[in-house]
Amino acid sequence: MSNKIETIDAHLYYGDFHALKGITLGIKENAVTALIGPSGCGKTSYLRLFNRMNDLIPYTQISGQVLLDGQNIYQIKPAEIDSLRRNVGMVFQNPNPFPKSIFENVAYGLRVNGIKDKSLIEAQVEKTLQQAALWDEVKDKLNQSAFELSGGQQQRLCIARALAIEPTILLMDEPASALDPISTGKIEDLIFELKNQFTIVIVTHNMQQAGRVSDYTGFFYLGQLIEYGKTRKIFTNPTKQETENYITGRFG
Amino acid sequence: MIFPESNERRKKLGQAIMFGIARGISYGIVGLLLLILFFIAKQGMGVVNWQYLTSMPTDGMTKGGIYPAIVGTLYLVGGSMLFAFPVGVMAGIYVNEYAKEGALKRFVKTMTNNLAGVPSIIFGLFGMALFVNQMGFGASIIAGSLTLGLLALPIVIRTTEESLKSVDDTFRQASYALGASKLYTIRKVVLPIALPNILTGLILAVGRVSGETAPILFTVAAYFLPKLPSSIMDQCMALPYHLYVISTSGTQIEASRPMAYGTAFVLVAIVLIVNIIAALLRNYFGKKVKMN
Repeated sequence: MSNKIETIDAHLYYGDFHALKGITLGIKENAVTALIGPSGCGKTSYLRLFNRMNDLIPYTQISGQVLLDGQNIYQIKPAEIDSLRRNVGMVFQNPNPFPKSIFENVAYGLRVNGIKDKSLIEAQVEKTLQQAALWDEVKDKLNQSAFELSGGQQQRLCIARALAIEPTILLMDEPASALDPISTGKIEDLIFELKNQFTIVIVTHNMQQAGRVSDYTGFFYLGQLIEYGKTRKIFTNPTKQETENYITGRFG
Repeated sequence: MIFPESNERRKKLGQAIMFGIARGISYGIVGLLLLILFFIAKQGMGVVNWQYLTSMPTDGMTKGGIYPAIVGTLYLVGGSMLFAFPVGVMAGIYVNEYAKEGALKRFVKTMTNNLAGVPSIIFGLFGMALFVNQMGFGASIIAGSLTLGLLALPIVIRTTEESLKSVDDTFRQASYALGASKLYTIRKVVLPIALPNILTGLILAVGRVSGETAPILFTVAAYFLPKLPSSIMDQCMALPYHLYVISTSGTQIEASRPMAYGTAFVLVAIVLIVNIIAALLRNYFGKKVKMN
């Protein structure tokens, strides 16, 4: 399988703080890659390199290369950042649907990108809600506020919102950390379904979750990538002592 | 028990005293406010009737009504909001959403806060110098409205800024992550969420502006003008100034006392009604934002 995303010696600074210290890593296409590590290790900062969300934080500096389909996304014109983000969907830690109806939440990305055709939007909303395994639960109340859904449903709605504009990459920042075990299970099933069509990168604190859903795992510690490989290998036979300590719960 | 019982009792007594004082003060303030309202209502209610609201003042302002002052105040409040609301909201958006952190932003914020503390008579003088003389509007509704608008500006800017700041940043991030531009995000996500709170700022501004006398003193207010203004270049009467005039500088102050209480009552009632309308509007928008 080829690399969808590649970073070569990527550094990230927040002011004086050196958050990422030279990360070189390839993310495989149509697979799930989990990023694990203790809080503050840089895994979320790394994830946010891929859709340039770190740009929104003042005093951020980035060096090295971040290649998406071979193109360095830090050398594109500012006007192309929007289209980059269209191609790289993101799901956040806490479910954050807009204070709009269920329908409008999913349609938002389509409207952002200038689609006005009503029937096209309706078809896409239905298709995406089905993709996110939410359609059957919400099809009779599409015009109700998204806030009336449960936390787990809201998070699947956020996944649908991200999928509606047909990205090729889906970034997930601890998507289940605010959810109960049943909702978490549904999200994980969904990730399993989606990985055939999307390249998924998921940040998680939950070791079992990383083990269940991912094909590849990268272990971050203090801004460095300590170890990267097939998930099974990392979890059963890690090469580095730090990785083993973290996975077996001896620190972090 | 290892702690002596007397200690517990002392703690309870201390709490009771503190809460008692706090409760007493807050009830006292509400009581005072009600007393003022009651006093004005009691003195003014007898004077106010349909005739009073819809006729011109007569007999050296000791008889007749306050119709032109009511109309004038509505014009001035409306005009000032037409100016202050769009300008203030845009300034608030700039400060909170666009301005980079740093010296310039701090300066703008500090100046806005200072502007809110400037005595209103200074606004009056400034309005006279700029709008009446320099720009040649003369004493007119437009000059008065702009002056009152300047006075309301810091309130609108501040509340807009605070309302935008209280919008959770993850909403913005979610919108950017879908490829939305900053402007689109502000228009479609941030502003609708902040709108109910921004409207609160507008209410505060309306309340402030409708009662101000000093800013209109030199810019628009007429001592006695028994006809309605026919354009925004005309002078007009206004409730707070009318109240001031008939209580202090009329020819027969004692005789016009009931007129003064009636004016005060109407002014308070207008402010109250505006507040109620705006609160209803805010509730309505609040629901709409949630549902839409």
